Amino acid sequence: MKKGLIITLVIVFIILLIIFQGIGMYNSLVKSEEAVTAQWANVENVYQRRADLIPNLVNTVKGYANFEQKTLTDVIEARAKATSVQINPEKLDEASLQKFQAAQEGLSSALARLMVVVERYPDLKANQNFLELQAQLEGTENRIAVERRKFNEMAQTYNTRIRTFPRNVFASMFGFEKKAYFQAAEGAQTAPKVEF
Amino acid sequence: MNYPTKFLSAMHKKLTFQGPGLLILLLMVSFLRAADLPERPMPPRLVNDLAGIIEPQKLAMLEAQLVAFNDTTSTQIAIVTVPTLGDFDITDFADRLAEKWGVGQKGKNNGVLIVLKPKNEEGPGRVRISVGYGLEEVITDAVTKRIIETEMIPFFRKGDYAGGLEAAVQILMQLSSGKYKAADYLKDPGNLLGGVWILIIILFIFMLLIFLGRNNYYHAGTQPGSILSTLMWMNMLGNTGQHGKWSDFSGGRGPFSSGGGFGGFGGGSFGGGGASGRW
Repeated sequence: MKKGLIITLVIVFIILLIIFQGIGMYNSLVKSEEAVTAQWANVENVYQRRADLIPNLVNTVKGYANFEQKTLTDVIEARAKATSVQINPEKLDEASLQKFQAAQEGLSSALARLMVVVERYPDLKANQNFLELQAQLEGTENRIAVERRKFNEMAQTYNTRIRTFPRNVFASMFGFEKKAYFQAAEGAQTAPKVEF
Repeated sequence: MNYPTKFLSAMHKKLTFQGPGLLILLLMVSFLRAADLPERPMPPRLVNDLAGIIEPQKLAMLEAQLVAFNDTTSTQIAIVTVPTLGDFDITDFADRLAEKWGVGQKGKNNGVLIVLKPKNEEGPGRVRISVGYGLEEVITDAVTKRIIETEMIPFFRKGDYAGGLEAAVQILMQLSSGKYKAADYLKDPGNLLGGVWILIIILFIFMLLIFLGRNNYYHAGTQPGSILSTLMWMNMLGNTGQHGKWSDFSGGRGPFSSGGGFGGFGGGSFGGGGASGRW
């Protein structure tokens, strides 16, 4: 009789221990996932910042006589496309991140082409307004690189957590999914850069 | 471990023209290339001349200026000169280093880091001003670009590194001085309460003294003891108020040495703001 009671108590104790451990792990996973989501917001912010710079840039450049219209419309179109791609921050998987990245890269390359064309307009290159926009654009491209790097670091921390034992048991139980990473642009080790 | 560059430049002077010395130097340079970002300076300093290109007295002057600025505004402007960037791009190097050292205060992110790689046998000169999240509105990318192009590079071309840094620092201080104040630390409710307490105590003492003064007419004998106890009270309460203030103060800034030196970096964060330049 007494023996049975002790055994029951031990079992109850063990079960409680597992439950508390589980709660702790679950909470830490939620925290880690929230950090990734918050960082995703930062990533979106810097991309939005770049998109916000473009109307101003286009207006400044347009003022210069016979500036190639095609380059400008390309940039405007790429911007529209990039801002139309919004992905659900709760579902940062490979496919949606790739879609997002592809749209943004379209804008990056359209901007890079614009900057190449600008080289042929010395007046424009000397324009104070343009120089400031250029510095801002450069800074924004760099911010994008930084926030992407931070996102990858956080996603990596999170992914490591959900895949190591014993957390992986809880992670799969509660449906914590792996987050995708930003991939470096093709042929480049670093994030796309607008070279001036 | 400290970045062994100062030692290296000292060795450079001594051993450049001796065979074995040169070999050691080359070995150390290759070691440096492989090394990661420099470690946080110990003891903490705001101006870190790892490339050995700033005259000692100018270095001390810059340091004193920046420490004073940190003391009054809590904004940290740090300078690092390096002989090489390794495999890093200057922008990446500076942003990562700023984040690693935690220039600026945690939460406010009011740090600025200037990284300068002089023009040397390794390649062209490079400079970057990295601006913490909290200062991005007042020190915009366009402004940092202009500081680099018009204030720094003209000096750097002449080899006057201290001059260019000095000029940049002046502008950066002006731009960021309005944004944060060290006094913000003293404005939390706890200290406001402390201020109210001091007022109440003063009133209390004032009334007590009036009371005592009146009593004097009747019982002159009790006066010395009462005044003494009043003073003790005043002292004790006064001290606790002061104490609270100081511990808050240093709590926001990390270790605070009484000598007026730099207390250490506060853990500020960087998001890629700023600009870079080359010459």
